[in-house]
Amino acid sequence: MTPKDFWHNSDLAVIGGGNWGTVLAHLLSRNCRSVRLWLRDEDQARQFNATRVQSRYIPHVQLDQKVVATSSMQSALEGGVNAIFWVLPSSACRTRAREIAPFMRGDEVVLHATKGIEGGSLKRVSEILIEELPTRRVGVVSGPNLAHEIAHGEPAATVVASEFAEVCQAGEWLLRGPRFLVSSHPDLVGVEWAGTLKNILAIAAGALDGLGLGWNSRAMLITLGLTEMVRFGTAMGAKVETFLGLAGMGDLLATCGSPRSRNYRVGFRLAQGERLEKIMDDLGSTAEGIGTTEHVWKFASARGILMPITGGVYRLTHQEQSAQEFLKDLIQRWSV
Amino acid sequence: MGDQNDSKSNPVVMDARAPMKFRRVPSVPGPLTRFQAIRPQILQRVSNRALQNFSESSLDILLGEALYSERLRMSRDRWNPFTRARVLGDRKLWGEVQSGLLKPAAEMDRKGLLKNVIDHYAEEIGGFFDPGIYEIATHAVPWGFSWMLNAASVRRFLPWGMTQSLQSRIRILGEVQALQKLAEKGTILLVPTHQSNLDSLLVGYVIYLMSLPPFAYGAGLNLFSNPFLSFFMSRLGAYTVDRNKNNEIYRQTLKNYSAQILKEGIHSIFFPGGGRSRSGAIESHLKLGLLGTGLEAQLESMMEGGRRPKVFVVPMAVSYHCVLEARSLIENYLGEAGKHRFIPVSDESWKIRNVFGFFWKVFASQSNVTVRVGRALDIFGNFVDDEGQSIASNGLKIDPGSWLTSCGELKKNPQRDHEYTRNLGERLADRFHKENTVLTSHLVAFSYFELLRTRYPDFDLFRFLRLSLAQRSLPRADFIEAAERFHQRLIQLAQNGDLHLSQELQSTSDSNVWVRDGIKQLGLFHETKVIRVSERTIWTEDMNLLYYYRNRLAGYGLSRLVDLSGRKSHFGQSDPQGFLA
Repeated sequence: MTPKDFWHNSDLAVIGGGNWGTVLAHLLSRNCRSVRLWLRDEDQARQFNATRVQSRYIPHVQLDQKVVATSSMQSALEGGVNAIFWVLPSSACRTRAREIAPFMRGDEVVLHATKGIEGGSLKRVSEILIEELPTRRVGVVSGPNLAHEIAHGEPAATVVASEFAEVCQAGEWLLRGPRFLVSSHPDLVGVEWAGTLKNILAIAAGALDGLGLGWNSRAMLITLGLTEMVRFGTAMGAKVETFLGLAGMGDLLATCGSPRSRNYRVGFRLAQGERLEKIMDDLGSTAEGIGTTEHVWKFASARGILMPITGGVYRLTHQEQSAQEFLKDLIQRWSV
Repeated sequence: MGDQNDSKSNPVVMDARAPMKFRRVPSVPGPLTRFQAIRPQILQRVSNRALQNFSESSLDILLGEALYSERLRMSRDRWNPFTRARVLGDRKLWGEVQSGLLKPAAEMDRKGLLKNVIDHYAEEIGGFFDPGIYEIATHAVPWGFSWMLNAASVRRFLPWGMTQSLQSRIRILGEVQALQKLAEKGTILLVPTHQSNLDSLLVGYVIYLMSLPPFAYGAGLNLFSNPFLSFFMSRLGAYTVDRNKNNEIYRQTLKNYSAQILKEGIHSIFFPGGGRSRSGAIESHLKLGLLGTGLEAQLESMMEGGRRPKVFVVPMAVSYHCVLEARSLIENYLGEAGKHRFIPVSDESWKIRNVFGFFWKVFASQSNVTVRVGRALDIFGNFVDDEGQSIASNGLKIDPGSWLTSCGELKKNPQRDHEYTRNLGERLADRFHKENTVLTSHLVAFSYFELLRTRYPDFDLFRFLRLSLAQRSLPRADFIEAAERFHQRLIQLAQNGDLHLSQELQSTSDSNVWVRDGIKQLGLFHETKVIRVSERTIWTEDMNLLYYYRNRLAGYGLSRLVDLSGRKSHFGQSDPQGFLA
């Protein structure tokens, strides 16, 4: 059997039915035999199975019959699946991985789409998954993919990265669609860090917009921010080129310019003087950037990695500094 | 087999100071014992496999490249009367290849040429095994050593002086019983750290002491130029590895040979660092070529439905107070590092006088060697339990078959398998550090070196190594304080399971005792004393050697304690995790 035939006849599990998880399940359902969608909430799963719609996030898209929702890890993997798509926030990663591990066989391919890291250890999601799951064939799906646009069928591109070529190959066969471009990349570390670090800049970009500034200041932020991402990423073992591709620059541009991005919205409302707690309450879903900023800043400042923007975002999110001061700081630091 | 039980119940953990009666351990037969009978078959399969490997290559280019690199090698080769036959054989073969390649393919079958080359290599690589010689060697070695001991030791006048033996000089620690059990359940791939040419002898002897059947091992072809060593090694299961043969045909043939004997269930020893550690540090970058043959053998056995397909990778950390060839190794290392004025030295280790002198000193002194058998890993680098079951880091059982299944089929996948082997290499390097036993001399060398560095923080390594005698003398009290500080840190690391401490470092709280021991043992057999002390001062006579012995504790992030400037990179030390330390 060729890999193409194998993957087009495969059974999949998507763990996590937020925005992106639901859209991924939708994309995948075109290229495989069945998709099991794991949702945390049992009622939601029942509702989904009745209506085929994830009313909470993407109410206007009806998913294919192949997608069946469940709230139990065991039934999500019942009878064995060939690939698992992991779309949970980074904070839930380790505990959920421990839950699912006993039901896995070991020959599954795991692709995650989490753009965050574990606090303290600064471990990437793929590292956590390799530690907790009985497999090493783990990869990441990342790129400029705003879930709502893809749900509308707008064209987009994404990157699949793994140290195992077969994982990239699986990602390509499973995700590829007439309006969805998928490319493979061997630099797993770089792709994961690019997706993670860009969330910090998304908060900063939101803050600049919240101040009512235009494209000049945003371009300044993005460009200077990219060098900061590269500096940190290479220190963590990533390759520079990765940051210039879809997963780096591409994702950065999409997130920094779109009010759809949660991290952007956090920054925007912070700049307008709202309290972080209230924003988080309203948002209803996780903004990975908040935690990432804190972890990265603590790590970088302890080791003398120059990251002025991240430092500014840290002070902004901790309400130590207003958005105006953040901007002033930024300009002064770079004009020295 | 009563004796074997005896050796298991009698803990192999031996104390150097406790006088032990010389006791013969019965040698255990294993698959290698019948090696002579299956040798032709194995070579045949190796050669067929290699031909298959190259079935899609352009043979003209392949042979042309091999011819080019072999002619370069042969022009550099020095030979002695014992290796003459081999050198002439090489020349004849490559002469034929050369004239064959000059003819058109229709006249001279390229495949035939390739087959000749492969067969030639396979014959050279393939070892022999002679059970009789093994019997003699395992008995002669300890008797010979005991004799030297008695001749050398002043303690021969004491009643227990006569009974000391080599066994009591070798401390074998760690997972000995697990290894003994696993050797019956699968094929063992023993991977020791490599510092000295003595390692092959030592590891071979340790295997015998642990009542394991004989292992096959790869030994550098250069060692076979000594007729005495050659005679014994080639009859004790050694196959030859020539690192100078730098062409694809040779590499493939060698890998096939290794995979083939593992598939036959013959336990093997690899030194995965690619030769002895030049810097003195524990290996942190491993050669993956031969290591990957473990996975290959297991996968092929599984596909063919073999009876005991599992291959277990067992790390072994050897700790010496003194490495005989330390000087040439470290000078070679520094020479390659480039900035040092490189003065070529001859490899001193195998001059008969030195070897003899080494043993003489080993037995005349209280020096000993510590060998720790590490926890066994599977071919992916996961731990295995005593039953041979792979266990993932979260404690779940792993089915190796599922890890080797791609797109629903148990099959080879070169990229995947290479990635698994790379993982294994990384984990193995980590295990080497964790299974390492720190000896008093290592700690003394490290503390002194690091303390001295704080005095000259701006010097780069090469300038630092040229400090004058006055510059490199330190107050003794300062040194004791630094050593105690590092000792405390090492105790912490040992508690975290990052390394092991020797008995002396575990038990003594009085720093004077272990410092004195360390200084005495450090580089005991070199002509220059590495560290000397007087009432007030401590100094070194040889910075390069000091650096060599200090490196044994590199890679643990210990330098940071002294180097308060923090971000400076540490020379001579690859420390990928230092950033996270």
